Amino acid sequence: MEAGGSSESPADQPKRGKSKTPRKAKDSVLKQKSPAEFFAENKNIAGFDNPGKCLYTTVRELVENSLDSAESISELPVVEVTIEEIGKVKFNTMIGLVDRERVDEELYDDYETAKAREKRLAKEARNQEIQAKNAALGKKVKEPTPAKAMKGRGEASFYRVTCKDNGRGMPHDDIPNMFGRVLSGTKYGLRQTRGKFGLGAKMALIWSKMSTGLPIDISSSMRGQNYVSFCRLDIDIHRNIPHIHIHEKLEKKEEWHGAEIQVVIEGNWTTYRSKILHYMRQMAVITPYAQFIFKFVSDTSDKSMTIKFARRTDVMPPVPLETKHHPSSVDLLLIKRLITETSKQNILQFLQHEFVNISKAHAERLIGEMGPEFQPKMLIKSLTDQQIVRIHQLFRQAKFEDPIGDCLSPAGEYNLRLGIIKELHPDMVATYSGSAQVFEGHPFIVEAGVSLGGKDVKQGLNIFRFANRIPLLFEQGADVVTRTALKRINWSSYKINQMQDKIGVFVSIVSTKIPFKGTGKEYIGDDITEIATAVKYAIQQCCIQLKSKIVKKMQAREQQERKRNLSKYIPNAAGAVYDVLKEMAQSHALKKKRYEDEDATLLGKVSTRLITKDTLTEKLSQHVEQVDYEMALEFATQSGVSEEPREAIYIHSLDTKSDFIDFSNSIFCFRLTR
Amino acid sequence: MAEKKKRRRADADDDDLPFKNRLKPDSVILQTLRSLTGSAATASSSSGAKTLTLADLALSSTCREVADLSLSSVQSSIESLILRIARSILGGDGFAFDVPSRSSANQLYVPELDRIVLKDKNTLRPFANVSSVRKSTITTRILQLIHQLCAKSIHVTKRDLFYTDVKLFQDQSQSDSVLDDVSCMLGCTRSSLNVIAAEKGVVVGRLIFSDNGDMIDCTKMGMGGKAIPPNIDRVGDMQSDALFILLVEKDAAYIRLAEDRFYNRFPCIIVTAKGQPDVATRLFLRKMKMELKLPVLALVDSDPYGLKILSVYGCGSKNMSYDSANLTTPDIKWLGIRPSDLDKYKIPEQCRLPMTEQDIKTGKDLLEEDFVKKNPGWVEELSLMVKTKQKAEIQALSTFGFQYLSEVYLPLKLQQQDWL
Repeated sequence: MEAGGSSESPADQPKRGKSKTPRKAKDSVLKQKSPAEFFAENKNIAGFDNPGKCLYTTVRELVENSLDSAESISELPVVEVTIEEIGKVKFNTMIGLVDRERVDEELYDDYETAKAREKRLAKEARNQEIQAKNAALGKKVKEPTPAKAMKGRGEASFYRVTCKDNGRGMPHDDIPNMFGRVLSGTKYGLRQTRGKFGLGAKMALIWSKMSTGLPIDISSSMRGQNYVSFCRLDIDIHRNIPHIHIHEKLEKKEEWHGAEIQVVIEGNWTTYRSKILHYMRQMAVITPYAQFIFKFVSDTSDKSMTIKFARRTDVMPPVPLETKHHPSSVDLLLIKRLITETSKQNILQFLQHEFVNISKAHAERLIGEMGPEFQPKMLIKSLTDQQIVRIHQLFRQAKFEDPIGDCLSPAGEYNLRLGIIKELHPDMVATYSGSAQVFEGHPFIVEAGVSLGGKDVKQGLNIFRFANRIPLLFEQGADVVTRTALKRINWSSYKINQMQDKIGVFVSIVSTKIPFKGTGKEYIGDDITEIATAVKYAIQQCCIQLKSKIVKKMQAREQQERKRNLSKYIPNAAGAVYDVLKEMAQSHALKKKRYEDEDATLLGKVSTRLITKDTLTEKLSQHVEQVDYEMALEFATQSGVSEEPREAIYIHSLDTKSDFIDFSNSIFCFRLTR
Repeated sequence: MAEKKKRRRADADDDDLPFKNRLKPDSVILQTLRSLTGSAATASSSSGAKTLTLADLALSSTCREVADLSLSSVQSSIESLILRIARSILGGDGFAFDVPSRSSANQLYVPELDRIVLKDKNTLRPFANVSSVRKSTITTRILQLIHQLCAKSIHVTKRDLFYTDVKLFQDQSQSDSVLDDVSCMLGCTRSSLNVIAAEKGVVVGRLIFSDNGDMIDCTKMGMGGKAIPPNIDRVGDMQSDALFILLVEKDAAYIRLAEDRFYNRFPCIIVTAKGQPDVATRLFLRKMKMELKLPVLALVDSDPYGLKILSVYGCGSKNMSYDSANLTTPDIKWLGIRPSDLDKYKIPEQCRLPMTEQDIKTGKDLLEEDFVKKNPGWVEELSLMVKTKQKAEIQALSTFGFQYLSEVYLPLKLQQQDWL
């Protein structure tokens, strides 16, 4: 552009451009955007990139909210997800639109011109010809692939996603704000949670508004409420406030607490089917104490499916506690906010109570270090900006004890192990739970599991990543876990074959702040040494456990094969020895060489065929047999006693409602469910 | 025509070749070399009478050495071994070999001898054990095959030996390694077993010797030179008017020197084993050194492997340490290309290669080796290499023209007596 370096104002440029109609550049008007508007425009930030991913993310957000909700009241979660496919006709009737036939065919993108039609017909004819030829030659005839259903751009698929849980439920009056206001949430604060930004369910709502225009339906009931709240609302994107259609209390028909959320969105089941199923499966691995029922309902019955991920344990990790900030993790803005929010009066109390790992004595020392203008009894609200900066600087430089991590709630080694066994049925599994470590003042815990073998596991490394107990499915390549497992673990030193064995690597990281990379919260970068080291260590610990098992297995196999392996070489060895003996016997007989008494008798026996190759073979076999017996005995005495440790099994409790037939006896009772 | 071209190119190069102007006339260089060789010969003849052997040293740990054995004695030791085994088998006890260990833990560098020797540790190789059944079977088979060779008094190559029972041996490295075990066990050199390796080394230059009765003149062997015969016992009557022996690591440099008839300008014998030296080349070099009493100058790459090759010629390999007495050539000088030459001869950056992690590790390991430590000059050079993390091949000199090596580099080195 010639105007590149000149001083002419950019407003003049369009005039010199090619467009003939001179446009007047709009005067830039200062506009403001509501958060809802921002996220509607940048929905990829929250994982709503395309219809397929939107469907996936919607399911994900709803499931995670349900789990959080159930866990917050220490209830074993039961989550029911239903995705119902809605055809175009059905959708139109739903929104009260008359389905119109196409009148002007040429108007559409998928209109077939005469030329294209000619081409297609010619191609079809050719294919048929080839097939006829093949059939005539007796070749295997490939089923002609049905011509792909022409799908125009406008041909969107719609889905009704329903998620029902047994969680806490929501207070009747809060419901509109909880769904109709982006960036409002209950999960703010320093705590390990699945969600964080108060975006999930609202993004689903924004997406439904963008793609279908339909509102969201929420039913909820809390413990002790004798009614069910029902709310139908959508969101006023420009003002970021809820727009309520219906908000009423209904009669409670059955005992239930929790929430049921229903939203109709555009999606793409075909391409994201496997992702959604993977997600459900991995979620079942990391939360074996939850029960998931996943249903897909479609008009074509062969596409419909119901999968139940049964509960395998009733041991639930504790509810993560909200914790105070660690001094080395806060920034200037956060300190200011804490100052405005605090109930404490003076700076001493503030330091002591608003942060972890600062005792009273420590706080006094810190204040002394800040400089002469700081006094322990200084009013906290009276601090100047400069003084706050001074506090921040000191926090950066001073040394503090690491946070202890008791506010975290890892899945637990037991649950991780159960989850792996339940979903993968591996031949071997080892798990390890690390102690809390610290990254930039945030505690984190790494847990790992390594499995070998199992169903639906491909050869090589299968990596399962979890962050704050949610599965991460996308952008695997750059993730710290993938990198570590691929590059920094020497599998062969643990007797594991990286290419041939079916290796499952499970790593779960929990923290008050997971350092996600990228916008989509889908992977953890490889550049944080603390995390990379902890991940490597955890995987190695699993491998060490596995190695001893593998070695034992190999030894057992060796035991079985020892006799065969030894016997295999008997003919070779006996043959070689006998050949030399024979030659010696010959030269002995020809008196070419003299041998002394004992040797002479032996060679004499060889010449008279008293000793043959078979004699040697037989003697060697006897020896091998004896050695094998001795070694087997030794192996048995060493390893016979030790048995695999027993594991507690979880037996699913029966519904009390089912009726039984009891066959009673004086000693026992058979109870059969009907 | 070709002659003309050559001359013209030589004229043109005259000014271009760096350092060429520092060269004195050949006659002056020759003069210094001659005086040096003379003194070296007298020195070695005076001290050569008392070459140290293992027996002369009162070493704290006993060491094992092998000797050349006659065919019949090899045969009878095999026979007595087999008889012992046969009796053991018939007695129902299976059998086992007591094989000298050739692991690196069992090696010892003796500074007085300047070579690696084998200590006396043995390992038992029983048949009735899963981990050693294979090896002991192969050992039996090799013993039988060698017994056959002795009886018939013929030579075979290692490859031949392998092919007699491919099914058992599976790959040649296994039969080769057991072959070394057997010579260790019987206490004889590998050549005494009548098993030879294929020819690998070549020699060209001012050397006349007899191979199996035929007189060979190595100045008249064309460009390729004479292949070093695998049976050193048939080589004899060495005569030479050379001033030194030039040991070359690589074939490429060897061909350059042979084609330029470097040995006619400076009377010398040029030897190469094309990489790691085989037994025959090492035996041949030792024989030349011992009989002709010439200094040996080595031209190897400036990388850890070049130095390693040098060490194998000089102190022996760990694999064959049991026979190091016969295989090593004492007093080899490191002529080039040394790490310090890279800057001295202004070898441009694009011809130097960065050392890999592995290279650097090998270099650091070498610094710990006794045969490097005994020569302070080598330590200095190697430390420089590890520090600069740069290596260069002999071919790097070709940047100044293909003939730079023979025209300038080597003459200059000789003139300055620049070797360590």
